[in-house]
Amino acid sequence: MPLKIRLGNGEKGVLKTSDLYFIQKLLKTMRNPKTRFDSREFVEKGEDYFFNYVGKNVGGVDEGRRNFLKGIVIGVAAATVVGIIPGLRVLVPPVEQAAGFPKSLLVDVSGNPLKASSIPVNSPIITLYEYPLTGEPNFLLNLGDKSGNPVSISPVEVTVPQTGKTYKFPGGVGPNNSIVSYSAICQHLGCTPPYIHFYPPQYVGPSQLTAPEPDTLTAQALLAAKQANIPALIHCDCHGSTYDPYKGGAVLTGPTQRPLPAVLLEYDSSTDYLYAIGAIGVATYPEGSDGVPSQDPSKDLDTSQYGSSVGTKTQVQANTNPFSGS
Amino acid sequence: MSLTKRVSNWFSERLGLDDLPFFKTPDYMYHVNEWLGALVAASFIYTVISGLILLLYYNAAAGYQSTETIINQVPYGSVVLYSHLYGAYAMIILAYVHMFRNYFVGAYKKPRELLWILGVLMLVLTLGASFLGYSLIGDALAVSAVDVGAGIITSIPQLSFLIPIIFGNYDTGDYTRVLALHIILVALIGLLFVFHFFLAEHYGMMPSRKVKPKAPAVYTKEEWSKFNPWWPRNFVYMSSLIFMTWGFILAIPNALAYLNGLPQYFNPFMNPKPAPPPNSPAAAHITTYPPWFFLFLYKIADFTSDVVIFLMIGVIIPLVYLIILPFIDRSDELHPLKRKVFTGIGILMITYLIQTSLWGDLAPGVEVSVKDQVIAYLIPAIIVALGLTFIKPVDAQLKPSRGISPLTSLLFMVVAMLFAGSVVELIDYPSLFTFAIAVFTGSLFFIGSKAMGKVVLSKGLPNNAVPEVKTTTETPTSTETKKKFAEVLMSILFVLVVVIVAQMWTIPPTGYASNLFGVDLGLVFLMLGEVISLYHYVVYKKPVEKEE
Repeated sequence: MPLKIRLGNGEKGVLKTSDLYFIQKLLKTMRNPKTRFDSREFVEKGEDYFFNYVGKNVGGVDEGRRNFLKGIVIGVAAATVVGIIPGLRVLVPPVEQAAGFPKSLLVDVSGNPLKASSIPVNSPIITLYEYPLTGEPNFLLNLGDKSGNPVSISPVEVTVPQTGKTYKFPGGVGPNNSIVSYSAICQHLGCTPPYIHFYPPQYVGPSQLTAPEPDTLTAQALLAAKQANIPALIHCDCHGSTYDPYKGGAVLTGPTQRPLPAVLLEYDSSTDYLYAIGAIGVATYPEGSDGVPSQDPSKDLDTSQYGSSVGTKTQVQANTNPFSGS
Repeated sequence: MSLTKRVSNWFSERLGLDDLPFFKTPDYMYHVNEWLGALVAASFIYTVISGLILLLYYNAAAGYQSTETIINQVPYGSVVLYSHLYGAYAMIILAYVHMFRNYFVGAYKKPRELLWILGVLMLVLTLGASFLGYSLIGDALAVSAVDVGAGIITSIPQLSFLIPIIFGNYDTGDYTRVLALHIILVALIGLLFVFHFFLAEHYGMMPSRKVKPKAPAVYTKEEWSKFNPWWPRNFVYMSSLIFMTWGFILAIPNALAYLNGLPQYFNPFMNPKPAPPPNSPAAAHITTYPPWFFLFLYKIADFTSDVVIFLMIGVIIPLVYLIILPFIDRSDELHPLKRKVFTGIGILMITYLIQTSLWGDLAPGVEVSVKDQVIAYLIPAIIVALGLTFIKPVDAQLKPSRGISPLTSLLFMVVAMLFAGSVVELIDYPSLFTFAIAVFTGSLFFIGSKAMGKVVLSKGLPNNAVPEVKTTTETPTSTETKKKFAEVLMSILFVLVVVIVAQMWTIPPTGYASNLFGVDLGLVFLMLGEVISLYHYVVYKKPVEKEE
């Protein structure tokens, strides 16, 4: 029941209900002999005494003022929540879908561009880089003949035995046209290095038949290499698939029915740098595309969630020599 | 009855807010000194929450890469990561402050012995969990810190079986075990915290020495029952402290992220970013250092080549001392000057901890001759011993109403060290820039020492303190004007918060600018805490809150 006065036509509020209640309580306390208001001290000390008296005995803050302050606190708290909302994006994982192949400069472990002429010929060390997505390894090979001289790799037609279709492998790049690059994921069941790796000429021989895993060559692989008259090969120790690095990663022996997809390299002869610019062949993941081989490696790009795009640089790592144990 | 009243009544009735089994708090205890544990708990909670968010992204098989991914690609990932790091830093610093405050007020005495021991164990677990968390980044610093840690353990052949148990296959880049142990230790901290918390609620905070000058310092049931219940005053005060702690944890590291090219000796404290990976050529050019909270151990390792002695000085003796402290200091005296031996040991522990840490930061791995060791460690001991011999406990009635809070003195210490450092810097590289910095820190130091000097010196000169005491107890200044001012301030802060929040919506989630989000969110939390604190002041603060 707020106190109001009438002035002409309009009503004007003088005191709110809570104020009235407060005054009533204050007067009662002032009359109470236990907490009597000392008017003499009031005259002496002025409003300080009064405010202190009220604060001590009645609880200085009245209801309306308290609600106003509560409103501010709630307002600030609400604003804080509003401020946190965009921060909730931290819970949304960054899923990158590569729209196409980036042009990536091959760099060495220190981040300097890799010189094409410095890549050793027929190196037994597994040399890998990720492209087009992180987590997708590819071999980088500088192919040579039996005596270690670089061999020029010419363009060749590659057949996919599973479908019978063919595609054109563009050949090697680099100062001697001897540098090639293939996916390092076996097209049979997806084994990765060190199970699948390059066998340089000195390791393509009968002694590898009894070598420990992952360096064992099968008799079929040796025979196929002999028939194709190639000094070196790529072999997967998981199930014995063999690929011909000189002929665009074509299938030499099963069980694989698909050749290794090749990464397209671009060679800049003025700087001696190498760039990965795309891929050709079947899709990278043999389990992808519902197991149906594709002619188009970019098929994987829009569905793959294995990694994010490597961007404009990709690091070449030469860490493992699979033959060091044998 | 209004609707809001009915709703709030419904909840307080259902939740039993009026008779919670929590400690009822007397009016005079609403100061941060009494609530240091709440600050530690607030930073613990913050670090757990941010850690769980990081756990959604972290990959223990690729520690460094996933850290980089979190920083560069996850939306606001760097905000969460840096504040997780500084949340742990805050927890360590606050745990030390909390511990030493309770050390000097004698809170470890009967009946709070278990509370004290649990607290010491939690500090050890905190340092352990922080070390493991630091290792998870997998940068050159983390790997070298693990190397050093593992080296210390292996040099005692009987303990080398612990290496695979603690680190697993860390060397091969598989951090699964370190991650698991990091989480396990934090879970243990949480478990001990529950015990620590309920014991603390059971015995209550340490009453003022004026009320309970001797152990056991606990309130009786009758005294206790007339104090403020947990709901609502404690709740309001506590939330203001929690939000302010979170504000600092968020704002500081995200602002520091914009500082680059700091001198090497600032890096352990002021650089939230990871170092290069250990196998990169850049790693060869960086100075490795342990996390700052182990810098003191790093320096002690320069004193002796014997690992057993090293572990005794650096870890075992201080730790055992702290754990058995309640059983060696058995007197019922609570005044620090009435148990001078323990007070002296406490002061020396703080001095040595800071001194050795800074020494480890400035001269890591430089061997120290026995003579230098004696000079460095004997002088503080002599000063403390002499000082304590001649200072007499001041009569309780002559004591100024309130000393300085531990946080203020911590701040003053930081300022003093900055000043000392800037002077050294000025002498080494005299230039206008270093001079300006020295003048700036010097004026801060001057202001601080003026404020501190009044309190410190008046303790030595009780006569000077008498008039001051009279003025504070008999004519309390009007709180009403201050309260009016507080209300205006609240309204201003509200407007500021709205402006900042609106700006926060425009900050990109990744990239260079994204850390501004952390700075802003920190400021918003600080202001929220401040608004609640002002609300507490206006609504609950009484003109006289005497120790009862």
